[in-house]
Amino acid sequence: MNMSAIVLKSIVKKYHMGTEEVHALKGVDLAVPQGAFVAVRGPSGSGKSTLLNICGLIDTFDSGEYLLAGEAVRQFDERGRTLIRRQRIGFIFQSYNLVPVMTVRDNIEYSLLLAGLSDKECEKRVQEILDQVGLSGLGERTPDQLSGGQRQRVAIARALVKAPVLVIADEPTANLDTATAQQVVDLMKDLGQRLGTTFLIATHDDRMTAHCDRVLSMTDGVLQ
Amino acid sequence: MNHFHLAWKNVRRNRRRSLVTILIAAVGCAAILVACGFALYTYDMLSDSAAREYGHITIAQKAFFEQEEETPMQFGMADDKVITAQLRSLPEVKEVLPRVSFSGLISNGDKSVIFLGTGADTALETKMRGPFLRILDGKVRAPQKNALPYVLLGVDLARSLGAKPGANLTLLTTTASTGGINAIDVEVSGIVTSGWSELDKRLVYTDLDAAQKLLMTDRVSTLSVYLGDIERVSETIQALSPDNVGKTLRPWWEQAFYYNSVKNLYNRIFGLLGFIIATLVLFSVINTLAMAVVERTREIGTLRALGAHPEEIVAQFVREGFLIGVVGVLAGNLLLWLVIAILPSLGLEMPPPPGRSEGYPLLVSASVNLFIITNLIIIILCTVAAWAVSRNAARKNIVEALGHV
Repeated sequence: MNMSAIVLKSIVKKYHMGTEEVHALKGVDLAVPQGAFVAVRGPSGSGKSTLLNICGLIDTFDSGEYLLAGEAVRQFDERGRTLIRRQRIGFIFQSYNLVPVMTVRDNIEYSLLLAGLSDKECEKRVQEILDQVGLSGLGERTPDQLSGGQRQRVAIARALVKAPVLVIADEPTANLDTATAQQVVDLMKDLGQRLGTTFLIATHDDRMTAHCDRVLSMTDGVLQ
Repeated sequence: MNHFHLAWKNVRRNRRRSLVTILIAAVGCAAILVACGFALYTYDMLSDSAAREYGHITIAQKAFFEQEEETPMQFGMADDKVITAQLRSLPEVKEVLPRVSFSGLISNGDKSVIFLGTGADTALETKMRGPFLRILDGKVRAPQKNALPYVLLGVDLARSLGAKPGANLTLLTTTASTGGINAIDVEVSGIVTSGWSELDKRLVYTDLDAAQKLLMTDRVSTLSVYLGDIERVSETIQALSPDNVGKTLRPWWEQAFYYNSVKNLYNRIFGLLGFIIATLVLFSVINTLAMAVVERTREIGTLRALGAHPEEIVAQFVREGFLIGVVGVLAGNLLLWLVIAILPSLGLEMPPPPGRSEGYPLLVSASVNLFIITNLIIIILCTVAAWAVSRNAARKNIVEALGHV
């Protein structure tokens, strides 16, 4: 039986803007099986970023229940959520968000060091993922010496090097040309399938949604 | 990945700004070291002057230190020769100088002036006082039989009396034995300056025998003990406890009132100056690192999303602050060595302090303790500044940090 990577039950998220209370998520229910490649679409302000932030444990929710790989996350404080992120969740950002002073290798290795792996193990895993994303010879370069597509490959490598349960991707192809975007999507899907990692992707890009197992649509804090 | 290597890369990220911060830390460090080094030089000079004036250890009757004499030599020591011989046998004692302190009138026949006299081995006295009792005219002459006793006069006293080397003068004082008046004729052998204008108006040195003959006593006021090493004063005083010597022993610093006053004053002035400089360094580093933290807010959010704890983010900035501090103090120390190397060749002089007639060279002393303390303060300030500016940013909401533009 394919276990759910993410289960959301009646998730509510409210923001306070002055005296006004804004409901960003209005009781979202969602179950995403392990290894699935899921896109979330929706207009700006629909709540898709909030949903991804909550799923990535970088934001909290007001009520409901969230199970990540079968474990309720509400019980964890900030420190506990940080530990879950470093072990089990990867992030891919629209603007890559690589650390400019770190080499490609260091950017990828940082996640592993946080996870507490030994230097030797880190080195081995980094080399493997560099081979897999096709950047074997570029490990000592810094991000400013790479093209946009190469930077996003580094970001993908950084997200997947720790073999996470879940990867949150925010518009990962928005800054890329069609050919590069296609390569990046293929790479994400390929690695995700190999590692059994679940992808939750916020996107407006049809090139991306065409490859997804499931496309969710979000409007006014409600999943359609 | 080496954390300090990464921190150094971050320091170099905005080179110009980091360079300015490092320069501020370096100049601050050098300024504290120069200011405190100048104070140390002054302390060294004053302590040397005081130790040469009083001896590293002064031995006298207890009452000599605590009371005013009603008659000359009332609290004098009669057994000085025994004690002197005992002291001279000690390896750490370099010299023992018996002194008779007295006062009276000095006259050239037309004019009489009050003097403050010291009877001692004048050759030894001038040798031990070194640069702090300079002979301006004439020379030190050993007493001779069938000749008048020789005196050294303070420069302003000599000017007042119109006396030059070879001139004959008369010393008048109250005798120790009867309290009557006694006088002797003396010959001026030299003109000296102590560097103190008020003292130079009254200063008379004569040999010990002449002073005792004038006072009609065989006592001495004090024994000034000079050691081979000024650092061994306390240890020697312990070895020469009053039980052994039968008299009271005072280290030079308990008699060096001017030294103690200047030290207290300078400690406050340079302490305040150091505090101000350190505060400026702190705020400069805070300013630079605060800008770096703001610029890197998004990066902080990314690292937090990847699973870094806030304290790990803070530690990164602290390492950067530490490196800025270390490089700053290294540059500051280099600056100080340049100042120390260049100052003597410039021949800069400080003006005479209040009460003195001579200035002194503007020089800077280096001290290992001063280096360690100043360097540690600057490094700690830079580290604390980094901690202070990064701790809130590291706890910022991750979503907000990621959205920072």
